[in-house]
Amino acid sequence: MSPATPPKASFLTALTDLPKNVWKSIFRNPLPSNDLERSSTSFTNFFLHIHPVKVHKNSLRPAYTLGLGLISFFLFVILIVTGILLMFYYVPSTTQAYDRMLDLRGSVAFGTLLRNMHRWGAHGMVAVVFMHLCRVFFTGSYKKPREFNWVVGVILFLLTLFMSFTGYLLPWDQLAFWAITVGTAIAGYAPVIGKDIQFLLMGGTSVGQEALLRFYVLHVAVLPAVLTLAIAIHFWRIRKDGGLSRAEDADPVVSLEAAPVEKASVLEPKKTYGFQGLVRGPLPKVGQIPDNTVYSWPNLFLAELFTFVVTLSAILVLSLLFNAPLEEPVNALHPPNPAKAPWYFLGLQEMVSYSAFWGGIGVPGIFVLLLLGTPYMDRSTKGVGKWFSRDRLLANTIFITFVVANIIFVIIGTFFRGANWAFVTPW
Amino acid sequence: MRTALAIGTFLILVIHGIVFYNQFGHPWERNQNTYFDQAKVLAKTDAEKAALAARKPRIEQIVVSNFGETRVDRCTTCHIATDDPRFSAHAEPVKTHPYSPTMGDFQKDGKWERRHKFSEFGCTVCHDGQGRGLDAEYSHGKDEYWPDPLLGYTTQDHWRKDHAPKLKGKDYMQANCAQCHTDTAFPGTAVVSRGRQIFFSSNCYGCHRIEGLSDGTIGPDLSDVGRKWKLDYIWGRITDPKSILATSIMPKFNLKEEDVKALVIFLKSRKGRNFAETEIQRFKVKLTGGAELVQATIKPVKINPAEMVKQGEKLVLDRACTACHKLGDRDGGIAPDLSFEGSIRDSAWVYAHFKNPKSTMSDSIMPAFRFTDDEFKAMTAYLMTLRGQATPASGEVIYKNLCLRCHGAKGDGMGPIAEHLDPYPRDLTKAGFMNSKSEARLVNSIRNGVNGTSMPAWGKAVTEEQAKAVLDYIQTTFTKEPRRELKAKAIPETNPVAMSPESVTRGEALFVNRCAGCHGRKGDGKGPNSLDILPKPRNLRNSFFVNSIDDKRLFESIQYGIQGTAMPPWIDYGLTNNDVGDLVNFIRSINPKSKGGQHAAAIQ
Repeated sequence: MSPATPPKASFLTALTDLPKNVWKSIFRNPLPSNDLERSSTSFTNFFLHIHPVKVHKNSLRPAYTLGLGLISFFLFVILIVTGILLMFYYVPSTTQAYDRMLDLRGSVAFGTLLRNMHRWGAHGMVAVVFMHLCRVFFTGSYKKPREFNWVVGVILFLLTLFMSFTGYLLPWDQLAFWAITVGTAIAGYAPVIGKDIQFLLMGGTSVGQEALLRFYVLHVAVLPAVLTLAIAIHFWRIRKDGGLSRAEDADPVVSLEAAPVEKASVLEPKKTYGFQGLVRGPLPKVGQIPDNTVYSWPNLFLAELFTFVVTLSAILVLSLLFNAPLEEPVNALHPPNPAKAPWYFLGLQEMVSYSAFWGGIGVPGIFVLLLLGTPYMDRSTKGVGKWFSRDRLLANTIFITFVVANIIFVIIGTFFRGANWAFVTPW
Repeated sequence: MRTALAIGTFLILVIHGIVFYNQFGHPWERNQNTYFDQAKVLAKTDAEKAALAARKPRIEQIVVSNFGETRVDRCTTCHIATDDPRFSAHAEPVKTHPYSPTMGDFQKDGKWERRHKFSEFGCTVCHDGQGRGLDAEYSHGKDEYWPDPLLGYTTQDHWRKDHAPKLKGKDYMQANCAQCHTDTAFPGTAVVSRGRQIFFSSNCYGCHRIEGLSDGTIGPDLSDVGRKWKLDYIWGRITDPKSILATSIMPKFNLKEEDVKALVIFLKSRKGRNFAETEIQRFKVKLTGGAELVQATIKPVKINPAEMVKQGEKLVLDRACTACHKLGDRDGGIAPDLSFEGSIRDSAWVYAHFKNPKSTMSDSIMPAFRFTDDEFKAMTAYLMTLRGQATPASGEVIYKNLCLRCHGAKGDGMGPIAEHLDPYPRDLTKAGFMNSKSEARLVNSIRNGVNGTSMPAWGKAVTEEQAKAVLDYIQTTFTKEPRRELKAKAIPETNPVAMSPESVTRGEALFVNRCAGCHGRKGDGKGPNSLDILPKPRNLRNSFFVNSIDDKRLFESIQYGIQGTAMPPWIDYGLTNNDVGDLVNFIRSINPKSKGGQHAAAIQ
């Protein structure tokens, strides 16, 4: 019935073609050599399909984005990977946690490197996410239609802080114990519910086994899940909001109306092409009606790969040069003087030293509310897509004041505060 | 960008290379290989050689759970030859741990056997250090954060340079021996026992508590000082207390260096609980207060009535009294001068003060020391012989000799020991106070003292004329205002309100209303405002003081206030003589008359 093809030969062919077939079944496209394949590669690959097929040239300008959002994401990926590896060695128990740290430092293969990468990656992520927030503000990118994505971004920033804060306790050394004691005390200054939040976080009235377990679960399960979801929403909305923000004049005005007669002679192509020509290859028309976009493959993907390589090398170099701190085992009766919160909360601690409520809750609360409300208060559509646009002088000035004030407080808190929180000079 | 990408990727490769190299080039592997090679040369049989050839470097560890929390000691990973007697002449780390009979090691069939087997004890239980590490720096506790560096071997880089060399030596390990060998007569912990003796003979126990040994409350509790602090800190706190804590009031004891060392080793051995103790033993000590332990440590001096003074002198000089007090050229700079004790106090007072300092002076910070009654009597007898030198005539010289230690060179009541006295010495520069009191009253304070305070009665040393000369000197040098004529005040001679429970109740209500802000609800002078007031409000529960002044003076102080202090004239705030009468009755009611002098009979 069927055509008589020799089964042996067919099997041989199948065998010789096996690598090719497996490869093809996984990657539907060959390495792209034309625009169709470039598009196809982007939208048939699971990991690439979050990207648009074509991306605006402005989005690829390093000077515009500084790659901060991507760096944050890659740091998150590095943290997930190193974090999972660390989880294999860690026990969230007050009697074992510190010993596990000693083992990681002393006898686990690559233990020191893992811990260093996780520690510096976490600090880096807090810093880079904050810089990303600043970038978005200074370029006015939170404006319509990106209002809600800005809100998601602010939430992501807060989650990052909380993520880093919960991880800070896990080594269970003096640094961790007292930083968290100070940090949770700051939460306790909130009116009405402050003490309850503090109790809920610590599972008691002081940092102990319950607190360690709570922080561990938050750090390895709850917060990563929430953060991953929020990142997915953040990325998805970038696509739905039309890509990254850009200035109005980044796109040439394309009139959909009939061209005026006198210009017709200039714009009118000298030849006409078929529909196929449009798909197949570049046309003079494409240059004539420029949309300033390029194919994601390879432009965007190469840029992303480059950012990843730079991020990873930076973290690796840092991890090789500097060891993550591990101080004395916890001694609840003997606080270091001064007991300091993690550096990104030192601004708060510094302000708390002036006024417990205003420094710990009032000012930061107002700052966060202002951040969340920014896109709904600032409805002007001017100044989008340009760093420090003149149209946004007022907004930028207010924002920069807050940022600089916080940075100054962090610097004072980190370097200029000694025993009993007295002012000291670091030199 | 492609070039940059290539460079970045290459960088990652290089870093991974370095990381892998570090991971596999461990010093401990080299140590073990050295050991295998050398052992092969020493091996006698072929089987032994083959076994050594088959061995590959691996992490060695001893898990010990007999002593407190579980210890994981990986020391033998580097110190792999510890139990191989052939390596006794080699260099560390591949060297035999010495065998020594004092450690209980013994020879059996010509071979050494250990009393403390490594497999049972591990390493860190004796040596300290960080057992889990595989890197010399961390394992030996060089890292400044590690709480227990190798005891007597490793000093940390941030330790004081002049202390660090003194903190090396095998003696320090006795602190760990004493974790199990708690018997004070155990020969292996002689230095710990010596330190314990110094802890008592230098009167450390008067201020410091150590569970089961002492119960002082002035200084920090030292029950687990050995677990909390490193050698460097303990040494520093003993030899130079203020260098570590500027507000420390601990005296400098000027001990000999070997005594300091013994004390440091003793303190290092106090880790809260010993391995040798059982729960029931701890509970028993808690019940009995551990009094018998103290008596077992310092033998009381047998007092011979004929040599009482001499023996008393020896006790006073040997037992660190001058760590606080001044006596001759020794001066602790914390407590009053004892040079005139015989002429300003009587023996009953001194004895009572020894037995319980608070029984003669409500707010004295002097601890009650555990001398025997006979010893106290001898010390009292000795102090009674101290009469100082003949008092000079000049007011200035008298002031400098007798008054300056408390009232200060400027007369402002901030003398060198003033901060340790309660109440503070009078500020003599306050003209308001000085000029509102009659000369007779001030002379009386000098010659008869002020009861319940550190102001002694100078009557036997200072004549009326001399007292007036000092007063003159104070008036012209410090007060700097001429005395004014005192106005006559309408003050009842005696309390017009009879003492009765109703009057006391009314007085208490008034007191809580009007006086408690400064004098406190309890009348102890510690009201909320007292922190901002100098001189401090009077402690009205200081019975020695309150009982020594008459109603007339209380009336005057309340109705007309005390100039130069925060006490206002209450007559301006509407208090009648009857109100004040109630108040006086209340104040009297919280000061029972019978206090003091309870040991008067014993001294006779």
